Amino acid sequence: MAQAVQRLVGKVPTLVNAAVTYSRPRLSTFWYYARVELVPPTPAEIRKAIEGATNLVKGYQSGRLAQTTVKDALRNGLVATEVLMWFYIGECIGKGGIVGYNV
Amino acid sequence: MVPPVAVSPLIKTARYSALIVGIIYGKMRYDHLKPIAAEERRIEEEEKKAREEHERIAKQLAEASEDTILK
Repeated sequence: MAQAVQRLVGKVPTLVNAAVTYSRPRLSTFWYYARVELVPPTPAEIRKAIEGATNLVKGYQSGRLAQTTVKDALRNGLVATEVLMWFYIGECIGKGGIVGYNV
Repeated sequence: MVPPVAVSPLIKTARYSALIVGIIYGKMRYDHLKPIAAEERRIEEEEKKAREEHERIAKQLAEASEDTILK
């Protein structure tokens, strides 16, 4: 029993090394994309975002949004769904669990 | 590798504000539901005690009014 535990403990550094070697290139690709795509908006970008939102509202009022192609509409629908999913991830973080509230 | 795409600022703000709103909503809902669940658990405890008391009394009565001497 003690020998089995010792052997297991001896294997842990090799396992950790293997995990690190496996994940390092994948982490670097992830970081390469996340550094550009996933950063939070700077204040200048927040102002541009408010302009973009007002442009959307004006486009809806002028009827320009009726001219969107189906392909564009589907793409925008997917983007909106992704934004909605971020809300649910935030809810999971806030309630401290993944499925249901642990009251 | 495909170069990373420049995400529009509207989408970025929408994502992160949805994340923050979600965290706040989850926390508020949890704080709202926690005392309600504690209350329900307390009521369940009391009712369980009352029910077990009744069952115990009923069992004693049933045992006392049995006519068999075989036990």
